[in-house]
Amino acid sequence: MSRVLVAMSGGVDSSVAAALLVEAGHEVVGVTMKTFCYSETPGHGKTCCGLDGITDAKRVAHALGIPHYVFDVEKDFARDVIDDFVSEYARGRTPNPCVRCNGNTKFRDLMARGRALGCDKVASGHYVRVEHATRGSHLRRGLDPAKDQAYFLWGLPASLVPRLLFPVGELTKDEVRARARALGLVTADKPESQEICFVPTGDYRDLLEKRLGTHPALEPGPIVRLDGEVVGRHDGYAGFTVGQRRGLGGGFPEPLFVLEIRPEVRQVVVGTRDDLLQDEVVVAEANWLDEPPAPGDAVHVQLRYRARPVSATVEESDDALRLALAEPTAAITPGQSAVVFDGDRLRGGGRIVRAGTRVGVAGE
Amino acid sequence: MEPIYLDFAATTPVREEVRAAMASCLADTFGNPSSIHRWGRVADDALEEARAELASALGARPREILFVRGGTESDNLALLGWCRAQLDLGHAPTLAVSAVEHPAVLGAAKGAEREGARVTTLAVSPAGALDVEAADRALANGPALASIMWVNNETGMLLPLPELVELAARRSALVHTDAAQAVGKVPVDVRDVAVDLLSATGHKIYGPKGTGLLFVREGTPLAPLLHGGGQERGLRPGTEDVSGAVGLATALRLAVEEQRAEAERLTVLRDRLAALLRGSIEGVRINAVEATRAPHVLSVGFLGIEDGSALVMALDIDGVAVSGGSACSSGASQSSHVIRALYGPDDRRATVRFSFGRGSDAAGVERAARATADIVGKMREA
Repeated sequence: MSRVLVAMSGGVDSSVAAALLVEAGHEVVGVTMKTFCYSETPGHGKTCCGLDGITDAKRVAHALGIPHYVFDVEKDFARDVIDDFVSEYARGRTPNPCVRCNGNTKFRDLMARGRALGCDKVASGHYVRVEHATRGSHLRRGLDPAKDQAYFLWGLPASLVPRLLFPVGELTKDEVRARARALGLVTADKPESQEICFVPTGDYRDLLEKRLGTHPALEPGPIVRLDGEVVGRHDGYAGFTVGQRRGLGGGFPEPLFVLEIRPEVRQVVVGTRDDLLQDEVVVAEANWLDEPPAPGDAVHVQLRYRARPVSATVEESDDALRLALAEPTAAITPGQSAVVFDGDRLRGGGRIVRAGTRVGVAGE
Repeated sequence: MEPIYLDFAATTPVREEVRAAMASCLADTFGNPSSIHRWGRVADDALEEARAELASALGARPREILFVRGGTESDNLALLGWCRAQLDLGHAPTLAVSAVEHPAVLGAAKGAEREGARVTTLAVSPAGALDVEAADRALANGPALASIMWVNNETGMLLPLPELVELAARRSALVHTDAAQAVGKVPVDVRDVAVDLLSATGHKIYGPKGTGLLFVREGTPLAPLLHGGGQERGLRPGTEDVSGAVGLATALRLAVEEQRAEAERLTVLRDRLAALLRGSIEGVRINAVEATRAPHVLSVGFLGIEDGSALVMALDIDGVAVSGGSACSSGASQSSHVIRALYGPDDRRATVRFSFGRGSDAAGVERAARATADIVGKMREA
C-alpha cells in the first residue's frame, strides 16, 4: 500500500478520512495547514485560527497511531487567498475564498510537500468521489447530496487529480459521524464550520478596512434604480452582494434586491426580484479537469454552492467561457464560481465576471 | 525498526537515579518547607540539601541558588528582575544581549525595553566571536547587564564568556549567562567564569521538566517578577516544588560528575556524523564549524533545500527524531534567528539539528546519516 498524506483540519470529516485510510492499510501521514493568524501584530498572543483545529487533529492522529505535522502556509495563503478576497471586494465582486484556497494553495502545497515526505497520494475530507480509471481520473459529486462539495474543487490542477483520494465522498454525513463515534474520535460531535476561516466573526468589513485603508469600496455612495433614480445611500459597496435584500433600507412598495455593483461610480443598483433574472454568464480564469467544452456543447452549470445546476449551452470557450442558460436564473454574481458538470461528473469551472440577458430571448 | 532519538538538545529522558530520588521524595516528603512542624522541617531539609548539592556542582554558595520553574523563568527573572531593581533605584539600565540568544532571553530583553531599559544586540560571527567593541560601548554608560549564553542551543557554539566577564568587570557591568545547554556538556563553574547570574534547567540534563535554577551572585540587585510569600528570599514566591528540586539536584550532580567522559564520547559521535554527512551528501555546511563547540550538537545546513521542516518530518517518518534549528514554537517554519544572525538574512539552507546524549551510539549515527542522505537526495530531485 502507498504512503498517503491526509489533510486534517481538526474536523470530523477529515478525521474519518484519515481513519478510513488507515483501515484500508495505507501508511498515513496526517498534516494540518496553518493558514492564518488572528493577531496580525507579532508577539501579541499568537492565537491562530488553526490552533484549535491543530490540537484536535493532533489528538485524532495520535489516536489513529499516525504521525501528524503542521504545515505553515500563512504566507502563501495571505498572498493567494486573502489578498484576492480583498481585491475582489474592492472591485465590487463577491469572492469565493474556499475555491481559491483549494485550487491555488491547499492541494498544490500538500502535493509538493507530500512528495518530500515520500507520499504519492494526497487525501482530504471533502465530500466528493474520485474515480481512477485507466483512461483517466474523474471527480464526481459526493454521494450525500446535502454535503456534496465538488463545487469547491473546480480550480484543482488537472494533473493532481490522479493522485487524490476522498474517502468520505462515498458516505453520508450521518455515516461519517457514526464512524467517528464508533472509533471514539474526539471530533465526532464537533459542529460544522460555517464561516470563512480568516473571517471568524463573519464580518469581513474589519478585514477590508485593515487591508484597504481608505478605499472607495468602503465609502458611502448612492443606491440607484436601473433607470438612475437615487433611492438611498449605502456605506460602502463592499458590503453588498448581488441578490442581497438586507441593508437597503425599507419603505419601498415592493421588496428590492441588489442587481449590480458599479465600483467606478460607487453605485449599488437595485431592482425587483424579476430584474434579478438573467440567462447568460461570462466566465474567466476557466480551469478544466478533463476535455474543455467546445461551442455548442450542452452542460450543467452550478452558479452558487447550494444552487441547483442549470442546463446551459456553450457559446464561446476561448479566453472567456460564455454560457447560454436554458432558463433565466436569479442573482448571478460576479466573483462567484460557475462550475460545470456533466451529470455528476465535475468538468471544471471558472470565475463569473459578467451576467446578462440574451436579446430576444428574455421574456419569452 | 526502532526509532532513534537524536534530539537531546530539545529535551532528555528523566534518568533512573533522578526518578528514584523524586519518587522517594514524593512518597515521604509532602510537607510544606515553610511549616514550623516536623513535616515542614523534613521538606525544608530536603530542599536545602538539594540547594547545597546544586551550589557545590556549580562552585557557588547555597544561598546563591534560587529554585525557579524552568529555564525560561530563570532567564526572565535574571534580565527583568535586574532591570526592575535598577529602575526602582531610579537608574536607567542597559542590557546587552547576543543576537543568538534563546527566545527567553531575547523576549525578556524586549519586555525590559518596554519598561524603560536600553537594549543593545551584539553580533556574533560563525567562528563564535562577539562584537567586543559594541559590547564595550554598550556597557560603558550607567548600570549595565550583558546576557550572553554559554553554549548556543541551535549550533552548540561556545560564546566567549570569559572575555566578556573581564570586559564587563572593567566597566563595572554585570554578566548573566543562559547555561541551559552548557551544564553537563562543558565545565561550568562560577569561580572560574565569574558571571553574576546563571540560568539552568533540569530537563536538558535528564532531570524533570518545569525545574530550573538561577544562580545570583551575592550582592546582585534583583526584584521579583511574582508577588506572594517569602520563599526563595522573596525573589520566587510560591510553595517550593521539593521533589522537583531534589530531581534537579540529582540530575545536575550526575551531569557534572559524568561531564568529561560523556563529552569525549559525544564528540566522537558528533564528528563521525559530520564526516558521514559530508562524505555522502554534496553541499553540506556544518554550522559554526569554526567555533569551539559543545560536544552534543551538530547543526547542518543543506544547500538547495529550503524547507528544513519537511526534512525533519521526512526523517521522523523514517524513524530519526531531530529538530530543524531548535524545537520551539508551534509549526512556524521561519528560518532560525540564529542561522540568520550567523550567515545573513538571505541564507536559505534548510537546517537540521542533530543532538546527542545518553544512549546515542555509532549505529544510530550511521543510520541517521543514511536516512538523511536518502531524503536529501529525493528532495533535491523533486
